[in-house]
Amino acid sequence: MQIHSDGNNHFACSQYGPKWPGPDGDRITILLTLMKRLPLGTINLNGFDEHVEFIPSVPLEEIIEAGTNWTVEKDASYYLHAHQIDYIVALTDSEEEPNWPAFESLEYDSEMQRQLQDQWNLEVEGVSQGAYVSQAQHMLSTPSRLGLKAQIDEGQAVWPPRQLNATGKRLDSASKQMTESATILTWTRLSAAGAPSEFSGRAPLLGGVSTVLVQFDEGPKGVFMLADDEFETPHIGGKVYFGIRRLYGQDGMMHYGLKAVLSDS
Amino acid sequence: MLDSIGDSMVDVAMVGAGQTKFGNHSLGLKGMWAEAIEKAIQSVDHGFESKDVEEAFIGSIAFGGSQLGNTAALLTEHSGMEGVSVRRVENACASSGFALRDAWMAIKSGQADVVVAGGIEKMNDLSTSRKRYWLGVSGDTEWERLAGLTFPGTYALTARRYFHEFESTHDDLVHVSVKNHMHGFENEVAHLRKQVSFEKAQSGFMVADPLTLYDCCPTSDGASAVILVADHIAHKFTDTPVWVKGSGAGSDHLALHDRPSITQLRATQSAAAKAYKTAGITAHDIDLAEVHDCFTIAEVLATEDLGFAPRGLGGRFARDGEGRRNEGRVTINASGGLKSKGHPLGATGTGQAVEIFKQLRHEVETSRQVRDAEVGLTHNVGGSGATCAVHVFGRQK
Repeated sequence: MQIHSDGNNHFACSQYGPKWPGPDGDRITILLTLMKRLPLGTINLNGFDEHVEFIPSVPLEEIIEAGTNWTVEKDASYYLHAHQIDYIVALTDSEEEPNWPAFESLEYDSEMQRQLQDQWNLEVEGVSQGAYVSQAQHMLSTPSRLGLKAQIDEGQAVWPPRQLNATGKRLDSASKQMTESATILTWTRLSAAGAPSEFSGRAPLLGGVSTVLVQFDEGPKGVFMLADDEFETPHIGGKVYFGIRRLYGQDGMMHYGLKAVLSDS
Repeated sequence: MLDSIGDSMVDVAMVGAGQTKFGNHSLGLKGMWAEAIEKAIQSVDHGFESKDVEEAFIGSIAFGGSQLGNTAALLTEHSGMEGVSVRRVENACASSGFALRDAWMAIKSGQADVVVAGGIEKMNDLSTSRKRYWLGVSGDTEWERLAGLTFPGTYALTARRYFHEFESTHDDLVHVSVKNHMHGFENEVAHLRKQVSFEKAQSGFMVADPLTLYDCCPTSDGASAVILVADHIAHKFTDTPVWVKGSGAGSDHLALHDRPSITQLRATQSAAAKAYKTAGITAHDIDLAEVHDCFTIAEVLATEDLGFAPRGLGGRFARDGEGRRNEGRVTINASGGLKSKGHPLGATGTGQAVEIFKQLRHEVETSRQVRDAEVGLTHNVGGSGATCAVHVFGRQK
């Protein structure tokens, strides 16, 4: 992630530069990464959702509030902006479009980028062969999925959310914020042939899908896909942090979720 | 309650068992099921008629696209069991292991005297992408699958952690693969009838690191069925029944990450403890076991969870050849297991029982016969260990 700050104006694009948000990135994921790196505040969406490529399965406002500490308000301290062409987003103190700064670009395989984009289009527009999790279910679990909110049962953190405990008592809704850092217990890299069918279009282009099983400091464990791991190999005992990325497309919508990023990368 | 069923005075006899060859079938669902039932009936020494069946339990995930609902009624209709009380049992890959348990309980409880348990799956008439869709539906869809996991991935996570916790390497899994291919080579109903060298299995195509193609079972078509009767009528059907001495089942968290340990299957441990208790035996009494080796690491865990090897020494058990037919302490997967015999999901559990039936009656190919086999066990796992059914069989009550 590249970030440029100028007083109260903050700009961001992916590590690849303004022309490509990465294999599982877009303006929404860049925005969320930027917001998580800034002190919390309030934000006016300012028509930002007109610049997203695919409709998110959970409204952008809910994604922001579940995935960051920011709140969305009309009378906010920051305004959100998206570059008309490039994958650059900005948080500024003005409603007016800012002067966009220049960012560096990494060399990448532009053919692969085009093919990945085609696959995202196919995935979202086509009939999914993937595991079906409804939009309603995605919305139900948004605080836990995007915000790592855990329930508490007899003093212990519970994540992902559960309904009843062993005594038949209903657990309260998820409210405890877990730390966004965890330790790798084990990992695998699935070949394109072994990846779930919902990733079957993109997995061959990426050379497979990496997944880690991690344990949070609070105790719960979870599995996450790895992101930004092109140049790194995970190891047991290694640390990860989390970023919100595209998971997969279905029913004309894009599903977002947390992916693990190796702390060393 | 289950203990009291286990202690019931009624003993359960297996008097017939049959299955299709596992593999790629030209037959559809109805044809495969009919073949399995036909073979089971033909295996009953003194004759058997479909119309005598009182209850039927058929395990299937209904993987294919031809009949998703009311599968069981369709199958019994086409196998001469029209009108029988029937239902589909679904517990992922353990579907027919649980169908067998339900059938056993139906007789134990005194509700029925003649019961059929079976399973079926048609997997190879689907496109690759549809097949991969179905192969992942029995994991935790929301929290595992959307994190990129299919079952090869889930078991790969387990294997890497096992290597980390214990003195074991991928070579131990290679030993499992080589053994099971060797056992299945001469099994006429096996899907993959070919021997595999250690070097070849060691260097297979990586499916989910560290698991290679030779660590993964094939996707197979197949059907299997067994005929169970109450002890007081067993003599009408055969003079040499195989007794279902014990049955146990258990479950665990669906998702791997919710379990306290991912290198042991609590569902197996619980199912085995109940099965041994109802049979009145221990793991040391088992001569041969058909265990659920959907991936080679699963067999390593099973040898520990079933009590054949101490915790952490399942890898060494495989390395030392302790599961080789007529060479080791207990023959593991004399049929070739899921790895070689094949894995038609819903048909696997009762397919294991068919193998034990034939082994205990000395009816398998001579070269495959486990010497002096008196007590056998089947171990059928659903998903990555969310469900498990274990059965103990004997030549004597």
